[in-house]
Amino acid sequence: MDQSAFILQQIVNAIFLGSIYALIALGYTMVYGIIELINFAHGELFTAGAFIGVIVLTGLQSFGFVESHFVISMIIVFGLAMAYVAVLGVAVEHVAYKPLRDSSRLAALLSALGMSIFLSNGMMLSQGVSDRAYPPVFGVQGIDIGGAIITNGQIFIVLLAIAMMIALQLFVHRTRLGKAMRATAQNRTMARMLGIDIDQTIRITFMIGPALGAAAGVMVGLHYGAVRFDMGFIFMIKAFAAAILGGIGSIPGAMIGGLTIGAIEVFWAAFLPSAWKDVTTFTVLILVLYFKPSGLLGESESEVRV
Amino acid sequence: MKRVAVIVMCLTLLLGVNSLVAAKTLKIGTLSPLTGPYAQDGTDIKQGVLTAVEVFGKIEGYDKVEVIPGDSACDGGKATMAANKLINSGVQIVVGAYCSSATEPAQIPLMEAKVVQITPASTNERLSSKGYKYFFRMPPRDDVQAWSTVEFLEKKLKAKTIALIDDKQTYTVGLTENIKKFAKLNNLVKIAAHEHITAGDSDFTAVLTKIKKINPDVVYMSVYQPEGSKMIQQARKLALKADFISEDAVYHPKFLEVGGKATEGVYLTFAKAPDTPERKAFVETYKKQWKADSIGSYAFYAYDAGMMALAAVKKCGTAEGDALQKTLRENTWQGVTGEIKFDDKGDRQLAHIVWVVKDNKFVPYWDPLTGKDL
Repeated sequence: MDQSAFILQQIVNAIFLGSIYALIALGYTMVYGIIELINFAHGELFTAGAFIGVIVLTGLQSFGFVESHFVISMIIVFGLAMAYVAVLGVAVEHVAYKPLRDSSRLAALLSALGMSIFLSNGMMLSQGVSDRAYPPVFGVQGIDIGGAIITNGQIFIVLLAIAMMIALQLFVHRTRLGKAMRATAQNRTMARMLGIDIDQTIRITFMIGPALGAAAGVMVGLHYGAVRFDMGFIFMIKAFAAAILGGIGSIPGAMIGGLTIGAIEVFWAAFLPSAWKDVTTFTVLILVLYFKPSGLLGESESEVRV
Repeated sequence: MKRVAVIVMCLTLLLGVNSLVAAKTLKIGTLSPLTGPYAQDGTDIKQGVLTAVEVFGKIEGYDKVEVIPGDSACDGGKATMAANKLINSGVQIVVGAYCSSATEPAQIPLMEAKVVQITPASTNERLSSKGYKYFFRMPPRDDVQAWSTVEFLEKKLKAKTIALIDDKQTYTVGLTENIKKFAKLNNLVKIAAHEHITAGDSDFTAVLTKIKKINPDVVYMSVYQPEGSKMIQQARKLALKADFISEDAVYHPKFLEVGGKATEGVYLTFAKAPDTPERKAFVETYKKQWKADSIGSYAFYAYDAGMMALAAVKKCGTAEGDALQKTLRENTWQGVTGEIKFDDKGDRQLAHIVWVVKDNKFVPYWDPLTGKDL
């Protein structure tokens, strides 16, 4: 493996990991943008999506449906996981956040943490404590570009992630609901005065964000081959860092933040002592926030208020 | 207010009387990760001890045997808290912990309380080198394991270069450092790289790509099973040509289940298990009791630890620390993991063999002591 193939392979690794982080970070950033709350239960919603994925996929595979109808079965798997978690997201919002919408931020934050622990333990009890294997759908086949190997699974997952991000961007900027979301994010009171149904807008945000998280969960399961009840935590920390880095509340910021965190992790481990990988990731986060507290693409707090 | 205080005091006294006349209970604590990434192994250990108590049945001098599970979470702080909690609830024997990094700090309160501690899993050699007389260990030590691995690399694989990967924890670093030490003795195997990952991560492609570029003969995965299962899949996807060798923490049915085809041809070091009727009986009982398809590797050690402790209590008639540790040390016990005889440090004379994954099963492959194929 020569130097150029090595760098190319690391770029592939970084883009793949970064896309997953970005997709999860979107859930944080959307919810924060609209109700200024860090949804700590997002990591668990992501895990729930991964579990629905493995249950559906195992079921489909048991009668050979995946081999014969690959595209349809992927649509079923992703569709069911995303739909289930969208409903779960709305339920979480209704139970844990809605009653606290007008109380202090700290109360809502604690409620979010409680929800996270509740969901995590619930999944532990219902799905067991150990790794659950994902059926190997993709295998090791792939293409070779200049010595770098990209597996079919990676191509599929990255393309799907990009498609979802484009769709989200179009939804937010080209539809009435998207416009309502942006208005609610800017100024909730004013939006209400103009006749926007705030409750519905928030509910839709809590459907889309977790659904994207669920898709990321299925992708993680498909690629890494296993899911476990507590896997949301480490992805949550990284995606949270990505959302902050990109500027929390900003949708393009979350995508750029995700790719940046992925790239820092991979390239630090590739060229420098790998033991320091996580230290570096968070050092970069601290540095960015020190010099640009609103994140890479975030609007500063005062601008939003004005 | 005064009256309430008096009533509470009286009730407390009554409680004291109550426990005096209550049934005499032998309390065994387990200390293993019941939450977190290694909860599978932790649950195996707890269930192994529970099965032992069930199989052993009634023990003379006690009305019943109670198992109190403690959660060490593979974390020094939590393990110490859990150990203290077990001591406070009156356990006389503790089976645990799992991660060496949890066992080490938990030793301190347990040894001070003169509680006999038998670890069914922790293999770092530092644990038994502190002169604690109440500490016993079921699996062989890490230096034994590293020696076996280096023997295998030199004599069987005839490897020239090796890349080491660990996850920076006591157990995994202990192994990689020992491999380095033993490899230096004959200087036949060169350490081409020493990389680190973070426990709990899923993506190891950056480090694996780095190793692919170096192109060593062998890659040593010093990690726990969840990371090992994912790492081997990614290594196959990146088309690494090296042989892969791993250790006893990865030797678990889950590795085969999650890793699937990718695990084919991976070498692992684990103690050889005797093929006795007792072992078969245990496998059957365990599977039935816990409705399990396969048994985690550490359930065997935990079961043996439980059975041996109960037999020792029966033999010396008390679970008091000093008498019990003496009985354990002076006798030879029979278990499903072979004959159990402790040296003065509390370690067993048990050696590793090299296993290979073949057709999604662990198959004995090579014996480092004799240098022969199995």
